[in-house]
Amino acid sequence: MIGPNSKRSAQAQIAAQGEPMVWLSGGMFAIACLMILSLLAFVLWQGLWTLWPRNYSIYTRNDGSLVGGELYSKHFQDGQNKLYLRVGNYDVSNRHFAYVSSLELADQTPWADPDLWLVERKEWGNLYGFPKELSWTKTTQDHFADQVTQGMRETAKIDRQLAQAKNELKRIDGDIAEARLSIRRVELAEKVDLQRAVESGSVEGLSPAARRAIGQLADRNRRADDAMVQINERIAELEAKRSERSVLFELPIAQELGTLTAPWSELSAGVVGDVQAFAKLIGVESNASSPAISVEPVGKELLLCKVAVEDQSIRRFWIRRLGETTCSVSGLQEHTILLADVVRFFPTNRLGLFQRLGVYAGRWWEFLSGAPREAGMEGGFFPAIWGTVVMTIIMSMAVMPFGVLAALYMREYAKRGWLLSLIRISINNLAGVPSIVYGVFGLSFFCYIVGGYIDGGPKKAGFEPWPSAVWFSALGLLALVSLAAFAVAVLSGQAEARRSPLRSMLRWAGGLLWLATLVGIVWLLIKSPHFQGFYQAQLPNPTFGKGCLLWAALTLALLTLPVVIVATEEALSAVPNSLREGSYACGAGQWQTIHRIVLPYARPGIITGFILAMARGAGEVAPMMLVGAIPLATDLPLDGEFPFLHGSRSFMHLGFQIYSLGFQSQNSEAAKPMVYTATLLLLAIVTLLNQTAIWLRANLRKRFQSSQF
Amino acid sequence: MNRLKAIADGQTIESVIHQEVLARETVVSIRDFSLFYNRKQALYNISMPIVKGMVTALVGPSGCGKSTLLRSVNRMNDLIESVRIEGDMLLNGESIFAPSVDVIQLRKRMGMVFQKPNPFPMSIFENVVYPLRIDGQRDKRVLMQVCEQSLRGAALWEEVKDRLYESGLSLSGGQQQRLCIARAIASDPEVLLLDEPCSALDPIATGKIEDLIDRLRGEYSILIVTHNMQQASRISDHTAFMYLGRLVEMAETSTIFTRPTLSETEDYVTGRFG
Repeated sequence: MIGPNSKRSAQAQIAAQGEPMVWLSGGMFAIACLMILSLLAFVLWQGLWTLWPRNYSIYTRNDGSLVGGELYSKHFQDGQNKLYLRVGNYDVSNRHFAYVSSLELADQTPWADPDLWLVERKEWGNLYGFPKELSWTKTTQDHFADQVTQGMRETAKIDRQLAQAKNELKRIDGDIAEARLSIRRVELAEKVDLQRAVESGSVEGLSPAARRAIGQLADRNRRADDAMVQINERIAELEAKRSERSVLFELPIAQELGTLTAPWSELSAGVVGDVQAFAKLIGVESNASSPAISVEPVGKELLLCKVAVEDQSIRRFWIRRLGETTCSVSGLQEHTILLADVVRFFPTNRLGLFQRLGVYAGRWWEFLSGAPREAGMEGGFFPAIWGTVVMTIIMSMAVMPFGVLAALYMREYAKRGWLLSLIRISINNLAGVPSIVYGVFGLSFFCYIVGGYIDGGPKKAGFEPWPSAVWFSALGLLALVSLAAFAVAVLSGQAEARRSPLRSMLRWAGGLLWLATLVGIVWLLIKSPHFQGFYQAQLPNPTFGKGCLLWAALTLALLTLPVVIVATEEALSAVPNSLREGSYACGAGQWQTIHRIVLPYARPGIITGFILAMARGAGEVAPMMLVGAIPLATDLPLDGEFPFLHGSRSFMHLGFQIYSLGFQSQNSEAAKPMVYTATLLLLAIVTLLNQTAIWLRANLRKRFQSSQF
Repeated sequence: MNRLKAIADGQTIESVIHQEVLARETVVSIRDFSLFYNRKQALYNISMPIVKGMVTALVGPSGCGKSTLLRSVNRMNDLIESVRIEGDMLLNGESIFAPSVDVIQLRKRMGMVFQKPNPFPMSIFENVVYPLRIDGQRDKRVLMQVCEQSLRGAALWEEVKDRLYESGLSLSGGQQQRLCIARAIASDPEVLLLDEPCSALDPIATGKIEDLIDRLRGEYSILIVTHNMQQASRISDHTAFMYLGRLVEMAETSTIFTRPTLSETEDYVTGRFG
């Protein structure tokens, strides 16, 4: 038998067996797993739970007042349960959410009335209440849902017409703005002031272009005046029609009516002794027949009392115990809302599981495909998703050719040496630069310099243009330099020169000349006295000289460039040299080898890097805040309106939305649940992209795997 | 042994090339060829003919420069930046290393097969017609014809004719190597350079490759580097023995293996040394 080695020291014995290291490393692994799992679980739970329809429960406080709401969360703190309730009815209560401590509550078990409805509205958030009356028709408890649905279908029609009319107004405004722009263009081109001519309408002594522009504006103004009257009339009409239909609700908010003297024991059994007094208190005509009264205990000392009035409708009251023989009676606050404001409604306490799932699915659909309401706190995230996706796609289209070609040069063409190593190290380091730095760079370079240049030429971008003569001589010089560069390139490519020492000299000279050409082109552009910008007429309103989709995409492209270069380089270096040699041996040139052998082989790796870059770009927030993301954009960056892709528009971005909603909105506490849902969505998109990368790589790898030997 | 010791000491020696070899028509003649990696010399003044239509084997211990010499013939060494050469080689009388030579055109006139099979990650068909593809040949009929011809030439046609469009990597190691041979002969080269083509293969696959080389004899001039003495004796017509960058002796294979002029050669081929 082989026992422990007695010659070893105890320390060496432990090291030899290595048991503690197994535990140590295993423990670290477990902690890492736990962190990842808890992060996922937290986001999943919070994100998935937010849109679920809950019960609306009513709690009685110690002082007899009521508080009702959907229970969003409950946590134990300082010996009390803190309930986080969505109280809704913002237009009456002035808050969406409220914290309630269990110590304030007279009764820990809440009351969930089955007749209570939840109404999601376009404005003011959720309303919780008992439906009472419809303005356009009589209703009963049973028919309420059908009638409202019916009514909503018609108001939706009105809303569509209204939207059309408003669009038309917008188009007319756009036409006039365009006419003004063309006048401004003429002013800039001819260096004249047409303001007076526009005002007076006299075009004596003006150029034909100016006359045309002024005529166009006058024409459009005239036509707009006519059309506008009509459209405004129509809008007023539609608005009136829209506000015709309303719904009256009783909100579960008590309004004290008075006290009643009656034994509590009788009251809780549903017997009102002094009917006359009670009827007077609640304002019902007391006829010979006493009103039909039913009571339900809501808390220990609170009754909900339903009174059926002659016209079949039911009125509700709270009866609260004050003493053995006295109690206070409160009515419910009434509130009218426009039917046109209703998005969705359902009896939230009465829903079965499948109905709940239906509401849940509907809310998710709205979340994914709808526009935001209430400054993003309600409704959908579609513009943010769309903005993120469009921006990411433009970013990838910008970064891909640059990154792949740069890596190709570094790996396949460039001569290995200290310079290449230095550049490679710098690029690797660039990947670690904080993203806000890119944001600052994007803002100052893309938005202000490049954007300013596009808008208003070199002067707007902060460059002093050269005099015309100097500029043209520089242009001539540049032409010579570029010609020389071209000639040297051709020369050094000649077969005769290949092996001679002249060749390396020629290559250096060629490289320098190319560099000079590039610098020269840029220099000539920024020093041009003949370029006044493409959007000079719009100034001082910037078109590209501000944060917008294009600059955001380019900033992110810069940010992800190192990722793409590093991934592509790795993919290229993973191509076996034997394949390159095989190709050369077949008589292929370098580009043919790269194009036919190296790139196809490296494609999985390149695509992986590409998608990782996309995932990184899609999730990046800090630079977005500086270069174009805004909390609420009215227009999408890519839509059906010519020219479809609007690079100069600001856009909504999912990551930025999370930040602005959670920390910058007026009511960030109320927006919190939405923040979680948006986080879940962002996580889902990024995971999806990464997963695609892994799947793609695995699939493409299979094609190149050899089954040899 | 004196001669080998002299080489190790850095002395110049005279290569022994038998008259029977020199008398034949050559396809490549190597003229006083030396090669340096930076300062380090890898080949020393090698002069030898490669006989037309026959198989010439290069043998010698590891690091003796066999592969370097072989890779110099189609100028694959150009790809290594630190390489410098002296002397020249002639392909059918034309200089290989003259400054005016277009390397790409030169390589098209030779086929090369490497130690490890290196089929490209594309279909069998595309692998074979690769040399034509890079010349811009698009005619499907021509490509198909060359493909079949080359695969038949490489004795692979019967095995792959039903799966031409499957990946070349799906073949077995021996089949891959024959695919590489098919690719090498697709452009109808004047010389076929084989760099230890069987070193990564099992004995059965090796046997098939050897049969194939035997069949290609006469049609192509073949230069083969091998570590395996038996293989050299089985397949080659001429054998050149190299040592530390020098050519020691070159003769008909039977002469080298039975009655070489130099005792050093005999020691090597019989396994007493090396």
